[in-house]
Amino acid sequence: MTTEEQHNREPILSVQNIKKYYPVKQHAILFSRIVNFVKAVDGVSFDIYKGETVGLVGESGCGKSTLARCLVKLEKLNAGEIRIEETDIVTITKRSEELAFRKEIQMIFQDPYSSLNPRKLVLDIIREPLDIHMKRMPFEERNQRVYEILNLVGLEHYHALRYPHEFSGGQRQRIGIARALILNPKIVVCDEPVSALDVSVQAQILNLLQELQEEFDLTFLFIAHDLSVIKHISDKVLVMYLGVIVEFGPTSEIFKNPSHPYTVSLLSAIPIPNPAIEKERIILEGDVPSPVDIPPGCRFSPRCYKADDDLCVTIEPQLVELKPGIFCACHYPEKDKQVIKY
Amino acid sequence: MALKDKKPKLLEVEDLYTYFMTESGVVEALDGVSFDVNYGEPVGIVGESGCGKSVTAQSILQILPRNGKIMDGKIRFQGHDLVGLTDLQMNKIRGRKIALIMQDPLSALNPVISIDEQMTEVIKLHQDVDDNEALEIAIQSLDAVSIPEAESRIFSYPHEFSGGMRQRILVARALALQPELLVADEPTTALDVTIQAQVLEIIKDLQKKQDLGLMLITHNLGVIAEMTQRVHVFYGGRVVETATTEDLFSTPQHPYTRALLSSIPSFSAEKGRLEVIPGFVPQLINPPKGCRFHPRCPWATEICKTKPSMVDLGNGHATACHHYDKLEEY
Ligand SMILES: Nc1ncnc2c1ncn2[C@@H]1O[C@H](COP(=O)(O)OP(=O)(O)OP(=O)(O)O)[C@@H](O)[C@H]1O
Ligand SMILES: Nc1ncnc2c1ncn2[C@@H]1O[C@H](COP(=O)(O)OP(=O)(O)OP(=O)(O)O)[C@@H](O)[C@H]1O
Ligand SMILES: [Mg+2]
Ligand SMILES: [Mg+2]
Repeated sequence: MTTEEQHNREPILSVQNIKKYYPVKQHAILFSRIVNFVKAVDGVSFDIYKGETVGLVGESGCGKSTLARCLVKLEKLNAGEIRIEETDIVTITKRSEELAFRKEIQMIFQDPYSSLNPRKLVLDIIREPLDIHMKRMPFEERNQRVYEILNLVGLEHYHALRYPHEFSGGQRQRIGIARALILNPKIVVCDEPVSALDVSVQAQILNLLQELQEEFDLTFLFIAHDLSVIKHISDKVLVMYLGVIVEFGPTSEIFKNPSHPYTVSLLSAIPIPNPAIEKERIILEGDVPSPVDIPPGCRFSPRCYKADDDLCVTIEPQLVELKPGIFCACHYPEKDKQVIKY
Repeated sequence: MALKDKKPKLLEVEDLYTYFMTESGVVEALDGVSFDVNYGEPVGIVGESGCGKSVTAQSILQILPRNGKIMDGKIRFQGHDLVGLTDLQMNKIRGRKIALIMQDPLSALNPVISIDEQMTEVIKLHQDVDDNEALEIAIQSLDAVSIPEAESRIFSYPHEFSGGMRQRILVARALALQPELLVADEPTTALDVTIQAQVLEIIKDLQKKQDLGLMLITHNLGVIAEMTQRVHVFYGGRVVETATTEDLFSTPQHPYTRALLSSIPSFSAEKGRLEVIPGFVPQLINPPKGCRFHPRCPWATEICKTKPSMVDLGNGHATACHHYDKLEEY
């Protein structure tokens, strides 16, 4: 799709400056008081268009899962707007509208082991969203829908009458996918859906997600820490660092010429399963800083190979469009940096 | 060739059988594993979950769980067979000559003992040094893994370090005694990509400096590609292919290796479908007869129900497949 085409369309999901802070409490004998905040998501904006797969990458603790939970309203925002096809879902209060929104956006969870209720039959687990949202649908029809969706995700009918522990990791992830898709959502947020799986099972699940996307014209926000998975599955990629987006753009462009020094470092850190591909090595010093004490200026500056001790440590860079479609938040973005040489 | 082979290798595992006795039956975890590691060579062990990688490490160091037992085979270290050595004899080798970094690194340090004690204890056990000398060695090895201000921070407790630093401390502790072989079982799987890169870089650097034999166990083919020169591919408790890292990625000669390589998203390929290995990783209680991969293999025929032996293809490349010479035709 060309950029022009895109400009003529409305995004299916539009996120404006969302923030999620968790209070850090100090416990005393009778009461506890808030002493600080974990700024897990600290002002994130982006648009996603229909049918796209947008990858979300970043180090552990940078706020990926929190962002995902905000999008499906599992978290209450501290600030910001989330629009799904024009409707601001943050301010919805009416129960009927709330239910309508929840149908449109669903989530697949990271851990196929703990995200399914061990005491429920697979049939009940997958049917549950229908029980909540489609109460008027006859019970038999709801069950019928479960059997249809089981087929779609590559499970057998008899699997419906088993419990989650009787399944392998890959099969459990299929159950999670079935549950997320049963309401025909438009957007699916996938939080590390393949990270816990062996490579051969991972390939099955990635293929399945792609097939389902084509069949139902789904839009994906896909979280993974494995950059080869992101490269494989996503059209665009969001790079997150300590609660903010530092780079956003088409996956192929960003992997070819990353602009933000953090993206450069991240690309140089991934082990590439191909000894023939050459890679520049930039080893990031230190660990991810705590989201409680966010460094002043650019949050990446303490670990950045380009940071100066003037601009970078005093002024927080904003996400700006560097080239058409490529957004970057850096005072000194790279121009033609090539990390991975194909 | 025969002349060159005279000098014993650093490690030679030959026809190793390790079984586990369980309530539901005997688990044939290792079923005739053979492979070697040369002096100073970084070697990779790769394969899917449950294929016997950790059990191989545990067998070499003889730290198997109670229900596990080496049934048969040889583990020659610098020419001497370790199988059948007493615990006392093994204690002289463990840590001193062969060091281990375990799969679950973050729990490998005792949270209530300071780092200096945890490190000097091991050093004093193996070297005739006093407390001060041991401390000196410990600080030097922390320095070597880039722990800042090692002289003062050595007196801290594990929780005062980040995950990446703790893992580097474990590397330092393992290498403080300058062992000849480092067995690293998924040393970076629990770490973030950037921290993983730090730790791998340090292991690689020390491996070269100390001319260390490295047996790197991982399921991450990216780590294999970057860290090793030679690879042994495991499947269902056996080695199915051995090759230089370059050859393995460019011309894999076992159907399983091929399937494994094409099921990972590649960096150069365009978006498309990944190839999928049909079926499941085999059960090791009642494993498939013959070639353990045959129920999932597109090349399988009748003959695959008999056990294939390793075929030498030259240049150190070997594969255990009845149809190795027909793979190209497929
Ligand atoms: N319920 C909570 N209460 C307090 N802090 C939280 C809570 N949930 C997350 N955090 C903190 O918010 C930050 C972001 O966490 P999040 O789980 O979103 O990271 P992530 O990017 O998904 O990491 P990972 O890759 O490890 O899954 C972390 O510092 C985390 O400790
Ligand atoms: N204590 C035990 N009792 C019974 N079976 C065991 C025991 N330890 C390991 N096994 C079995 O031995 C086989 C090999 O296990 P091993 O831990 O070596 O796998 P691995 O290749 O290291 O896998 P992973 O990548 O998941 O770490 C598995 O089938 C496992 O179930
Ligand atoms: Mg997460
Ligand atoms: Mg293991």
